[in-house]
Amino acid sequence: MMGFNVEKIRNDFSVLQKNLKGKPIIYFDNACQSLRPNQVIDKILQYYKEFPSCGERSLHKLGKQVDKEIDESRKTIRKFFNAKSNKEIIFTKNTTEALNLVINGLGMKQGDTVISSDKEHNSNLLPLQFLSKRGINHKWFEFGNIDDFQEKLDKNTKLVSVVHVSNMDGTVNPVKEIIKIAHDNGSLVLLDGAQSAPHKEINVKKLDCDFFAASGHKMLGPSGTGVLVGKEKALEQLNPLIVGGSTVDETTYTTYNFEELPMKLEAGLQNYAGIMGLGEAARYLSKTGLKNIEKHEQKLNTLATEALKDKVEILGPVDAEKRSGIFSFNIKKMTPHDIAMILDQSANIMMRSGAHCDHSWFNAHGMNGSARASFYLYNTEEEVNKFIEEINKIKKHLT
Amino acid sequence: MICIIAAIVFGVLAIFSASFRPLAKEAFDCTFRLVTFRKCKTNLDDRIKGKIVGKLMKKSPLTAGLVFKYFNVLSVIFVILFFASLAYTGYSTYNYIQYGNCYGPEDTGGFCIFNALEGEHFSELQKVYDGEIIPPDVDDDPGIGPEDAPVTIIEFGCYSCPYTRDAQPVVNEILEQYEGKIRYVFRDFPIEQLHGSASVHSEAANCALEQGQDKFWEMHEKIFDEQEACGGGNVHPDDHIVDAAQRIGLNMLLFHQCMNSHKYMEEIEKDFDEGIKAGVSGTPTFFINGRTIIGPKPIKAFQKIIDEELEIAEV
Repeated sequence: MMGFNVEKIRNDFSVLQKNLKGKPIIYFDNACQSLRPNQVIDKILQYYKEFPSCGERSLHKLGKQVDKEIDESRKTIRKFFNAKSNKEIIFTKNTTEALNLVINGLGMKQGDTVISSDKEHNSNLLPLQFLSKRGINHKWFEFGNIDDFQEKLDKNTKLVSVVHVSNMDGTVNPVKEIIKIAHDNGSLVLLDGAQSAPHKEINVKKLDCDFFAASGHKMLGPSGTGVLVGKEKALEQLNPLIVGGSTVDETTYTTYNFEELPMKLEAGLQNYAGIMGLGEAARYLSKTGLKNIEKHEQKLNTLATEALKDKVEILGPVDAEKRSGIFSFNIKKMTPHDIAMILDQSANIMMRSGAHCDHSWFNAHGMNGSARASFYLYNTEEEVNKFIEEINKIKKHLT
Repeated sequence: MICIIAAIVFGVLAIFSASFRPLAKEAFDCTFRLVTFRKCKTNLDDRIKGKIVGKLMKKSPLTAGLVFKYFNVLSVIFVILFFASLAYTGYSTYNYIQYGNCYGPEDTGGFCIFNALEGEHFSELQKVYDGEIIPPDVDDDPGIGPEDAPVTIIEFGCYSCPYTRDAQPVVNEILEQYEGKIRYVFRDFPIEQLHGSASVHSEAANCALEQGQDKFWEMHEKIFDEQEACGGGNVHPDDHIVDAAQRIGLNMLLFHQCMNSHKYMEEIEKDFDEGIKAGVSGTPTFFINGRTIIGPKPIKAFQKIIDEELEIAEV
């Protein structure tokens, strides 16, 4: 991989230079939240140290500096997703907010239909369930099953809101086909890109989705940051989730006049330091190369899969290439929490256990959850080998 | 099952540290769910298990394996042991309050944690006699009550020992309550290792005895009443002893002659040796018809034994 040097990358992450109880940290919980490079942390600090003031409204020098930095970040994020214009980038506090903004903002009425897959994160499922309480029909199709999707689609389908890459097992929804079919039906498409944006090159123009939601904290950015990327026309249709300062350019006691995008959908004082950090994170990922990152993760996943496929029960297809950088598994006679806690205590291997906010899928399949190792750009083969060694030890002594 | 222990442990820790309160709350919630036959929502039990097994994996994977496989069984055993020890502690506490020892009416004289932890309710010798135990007799030592009384209480006491002093009010109460039914004899057991001038007090009491039984008991009472002023055995007591002798009206010429001659040292040492051979290892030690009470104990402890002995003697 050209220009991809994992050791050099690791030097940018202070937390990886430290030992915990005499052992290095092996961080495999990246699907939940990634670590942050020093560049991102420095960028956040820059705001607070150099120009901690209001953007978009204050005309003084510090205020102008904030405006400049936020514009820079928006531009970087636009390039990162290959969106048409800065108007198509709405900053949110996470994917959940972005999904809620679209699902609740389209003004759907009784009789409309929304469609999701059967493997949605609660952040997508819950807003849809709440819609169904208002008489909007919510249907779901088997993840990845285009025939089932087509069967569920009807002329009343206003929105298809689906996950791009599953946070549970790393499998990828055939979103291009879904988008094409949905558009032919006159339906809008919202992609939950929380697990795809940090790991794959996302080109919203090529994808042709109407909305794409992502989180900063999973892609090296600060927690409390997220983004909704949308086609300008689609975004124009949205009612703001919350209204207030900076969403309007004029008000009387009884009337208001909305600002243009993106401000219309960004109410209140923004998380300037976070947005700057998110921009820096996108710069870091772009510089490293999303294709390189994806290849690196798949290499690590293949290494883990080949070594452990006969010893653990892998969720999703056995073929690592179909599971992005996620290795979700169970071991017979053990709960997912057992596995995660033991690895944490014995080898500082940090991973997630449980239902990963996908309770609906696990409940439908009669499962308690899984242990999930999720790899990222700074993980190494040595770390994966240590993980394999510890799993083998667990298999030998505990089962 | 482990949630039950966690609830109690974290509950106690939460009293002292706010950081344990969320854990305590979680553990109580888990316990409540357990007793209502529902699954623990927060997986606290799994987390505790994982943490313990994970730590063991580093030291001994084999032990970790056994703990992991039998964790539920071990949890049940620990819970049973926990409640058993809790019940036993409660029972022992009751005995301690009721009978003055942890073993109840059938006191074996064994180790009692209350005595050990609450710190030496008797002055203890550093070396304990390990020869053949010879039950003590009254010898020719001063006593109160009829010589043919059905119950004899022999006290081995040290005049400089605060615990011997603390036992005297109970002794006086017993003497009053069982007047005519018991004989009480005081024998000297001065622990010089702890109370440097303990023998001087014993000599003073014996010198007072020379001038009559009444004078002995007056001096006996004075020494205990004014133990602090007497130096508690650690400050030379001569001056105060002489003063006490004057106040109880002793013939001071005879008293001085007696004290200077040290003629009762032999008698005192004899008492001490017989005490040692009787198994006395600290003061005060009481022998009630041969049954032992060590340290100042509540009156109930004495009454229990005395009543039993009186019943045996059919009095």
